[in-house]
Amino acid sequence: MEKPKIVTRFAGLADSRSLDTYLRHDGYQALHKALAMKPAELIELVKASGLRGRGGAGFPTGLKWSFVPKDAPEKYLLCNNDEGEPGTFKDRYILELSPHMLVEGMIISAYAIGAQKAYIYTRCEFYEEIAWMEQAIHEAYRHGYLGANILGSKFSFDLDHYGGAGAYICGEETGLISSLEGKKGQPKLKPPFPALSGYLNKPTVVNNTETLAVIPWIVQHGPEKYRAIGTEKSPGTKLFCISGPVKRPGVYELPLGYPLQKFIEDDAGGLRDGKTLKAVIPGGASAPVLTADEVAKVTLDYESMANAKTMLGSGAVIVIPEGQSMVELLKVTVDFFHHESCGQCTPCREGTGWLSNVMHGIYQRKAKLKDVEKMIAIANNMEGRTICALSDACAMPTRAIATKFGDEIRSYIQRGNHG
Amino acid sequence: MSKQVSFTLDGQEVTVPQGWTVMQAARQEKVAIPHFCWHPGLKVAGVCRFCLVHVEGARKLEISCNLVVQPGMVVSTLRDEVKQAHKWALEFHLLNHPLDCPICDQAGECGLQDYYMEVGLYQSQMTRPKVLKPKALDVGSELVLDTERCILCSKCVRFEDEVTKTGALGIFARGDRSIIGTYHGQKITHQYQENLVDICPVGAFTSRRFRFKQRVWFLKEKSSICPGCSTGCAIKVHGKPEMRRYFRVKPEEDQSVNGHWLCDKGRMTLEHLNPEARLMQAARWQAAQQAWEFSPQTAPFIRELAQEIARLAPQDIALLVSAQYTNEEYAEFFDYFVKQRGITQVYQWREPSEARDDFDGLLLRGDHNANTRGLMAALKQVGIKAKIGDQLEKCVAAKPQLVIALSPEISFTAPSLPEQLAQLNSLARVSLWTTHFSASQWTQLWQLLPLRGFAEKIGTVTNYQGKTRVLKEAFPPVASEVLAISQIIAGLHKEL
Repeated sequence: MEKPKIVTRFAGLADSRSLDTYLRHDGYQALHKALAMKPAELIELVKASGLRGRGGAGFPTGLKWSFVPKDAPEKYLLCNNDEGEPGTFKDRYILELSPHMLVEGMIISAYAIGAQKAYIYTRCEFYEEIAWMEQAIHEAYRHGYLGANILGSKFSFDLDHYGGAGAYICGEETGLISSLEGKKGQPKLKPPFPALSGYLNKPTVVNNTETLAVIPWIVQHGPEKYRAIGTEKSPGTKLFCISGPVKRPGVYELPLGYPLQKFIEDDAGGLRDGKTLKAVIPGGASAPVLTADEVAKVTLDYESMANAKTMLGSGAVIVIPEGQSMVELLKVTVDFFHHESCGQCTPCREGTGWLSNVMHGIYQRKAKLKDVEKMIAIANNMEGRTICALSDACAMPTRAIATKFGDEIRSYIQRGNHG
Repeated sequence: MSKQVSFTLDGQEVTVPQGWTVMQAARQEKVAIPHFCWHPGLKVAGVCRFCLVHVEGARKLEISCNLVVQPGMVVSTLRDEVKQAHKWALEFHLLNHPLDCPICDQAGECGLQDYYMEVGLYQSQMTRPKVLKPKALDVGSELVLDTERCILCSKCVRFEDEVTKTGALGIFARGDRSIIGTYHGQKITHQYQENLVDICPVGAFTSRRFRFKQRVWFLKEKSSICPGCSTGCAIKVHGKPEMRRYFRVKPEEDQSVNGHWLCDKGRMTLEHLNPEARLMQAARWQAAQQAWEFSPQTAPFIRELAQEIARLAPQDIALLVSAQYTNEEYAEFFDYFVKQRGITQVYQWREPSEARDDFDGLLLRGDHNANTRGLMAALKQVGIKAKIGDQLEKCVAAKPQLVIALSPEISFTAPSLPEQLAQLNSLARVSLWTTHFSASQWTQLWQLLPLRGFAEKIGTVTNYQGKTRVLKEAFPPVASEVLAISQIIAGLHKEL
């Protein structure tokens, strides 16, 4: 299977982050092309490419842009570079390779939706990435890619960045907006949706770093060429970050529709130290787990994952070897969401704590066998009942582990009960 | 009229103005949808996730508080999945709520208790310890806060942000460690604190004045009008008639005047209803003993007053009237004394230091009299032209032989009352009709006649807007010797 390089095309180049390198490899050519087009044409172009949000939800990017009212005088573009989903380390890789990709992508996207100002919301632990990003922004200003009348056009646009303090919930688009507004990082009730009333109650588009970084390539090469990669409903490539006891963990750019098993075995080199595969979390901590049998049947695209009742998510593939306790895994997962729940919505605030509570009981073997079913019932009633998806993000993996590995959990409890 | 939208709610066709939410429509139609965080006077927060309803064609249950009615929408609150969802929502709410109902002031009017009986009735599945949080916090002069009982509905936070605009409250920390509270070391200082107690659906905010005084299910409620200022907020007085005691004053919703709210001053008017502050029997000053002589018999006092009226020429008698009585009382009072007895000296009794045009921006007005407009209209009715203002000194200076005075009822509206009474002492005969009495401040007046308090009468007052406000229901008076103005006048009629 061919593996075209779009986002990772700067990998291996010397001085890959500099503007010179970027310009030598057709950098900012897409911007010239975009500024010659009408914003509506650009939106149509991105729609035609079939690009879907790379942050996790996979919402069609062009469609998201088209919801923004054309005539609103003040609009914002926000880049979600919070990268908080456990297991995910792909967006920082883009800044490590070529931050200009993101900067150019944001200028084009802002032009398409008519935003005059954009912020990159970055988790503040990305010290080096922030410095590289700042450098790129400065260079772009110096060379007239940012600021007033970009490249002699009528389009003026400013770009800045903002450091989040490390809350998972600030990676949720409206949580991010609240945080950027200086408020407590809590998602906002929808409707109204950000496209109509977002940052400072103005129309706002929030896109993931990877989504924005791929825009220049799509504009330059055309939507058809992008569509030729991947599957019909999941076109293009995506970054996947694989972790766990594999021989070559790291970030890989793969065409969507790539077999998961092949990815683990061929690209990542398979499991190390003679371990065998037990399960895989395919899309970050909130994605339901796949058993080794299921792994063999799925491909890395939105549809295949949805059919397997899990999700592609952020592309964080977490490999779990035989011998890893699922009780421990579920405890860590639930504790994470318990810790990160913002606490606004009752089912999430109380549900995450309840699950954590029950799970600790199980872990200490002070539990009943039916606690496994109780966890599933709690999870079922947390899902789809809250403002944002954090509650679902806790409920889904809980239910999957408690269902698929229920026997393991029950025998763990029983061993305790029998001394 | 705004555009109307029709939809189906539990099988019934319902029509509401465009833009209304399903929750608003349900409220109008008296369809009960359980909720904690929604309040008709506050912005939608959508956080309790209790008010879930089923919408035909929707992927999941929706919260009705943020669901705008669309034409043709089919909404159900009755389906099993909705009822199950309500049960679970309640269980989530109760998960970390301390079950201290027997010692909680909210018991009997608690959302958690009520909904447990309506939509809950499940066996608790929580077997592990609850999250513990600070209790009995002093967050304001009128408030006690128990953060452990709080279900984080955020109504109090929104009240502070949207109504008083003081922003004194916030929810701190995250997840199930979230805690309601004031900002570091600060207290709530505004005059609308007890509204937080009203809107708190549980026993997190309790009233410092009311807590532990009475179980709410023993209280009777009567609708009245607040006598604290010229706004005339609709109120409910809560009392226990068999004890002849009053326990609290709460606002009653009236969108044309006070919305959902009532200031703390208005609630303090309660203090003037209970026996400690009341004149319970008629009294006369005994100069020899330098003491009041109280009597359960009011008839002799009325007879003495009648004799004085008969003895004196009308021009030697003056009326001194405060603006805190009902339109009906004024009509009767002036009809008798001015029209029938021919008394023409009528003086207004007001607080000299009042800043009549003050307004706190919400409800409380500088005119601390409930019926200034009513009094002025009643004076005009009997041909007396006057401007609003205190005329007590003028009355004293005129040295009438007899003054019949209607005293102000609510003491905070009349801080100069002791000095004014002292001025009246220089007059030979003052028949003071009053609800209020203070043994330490009041001396030397000829006679005191006990009147009914505002919660003990029906009638109307006219507020600052000119709106007629109705004191709808009356409690029996605190003592049988306490009289209505009409009873005194009837007594005078009989004598003269």
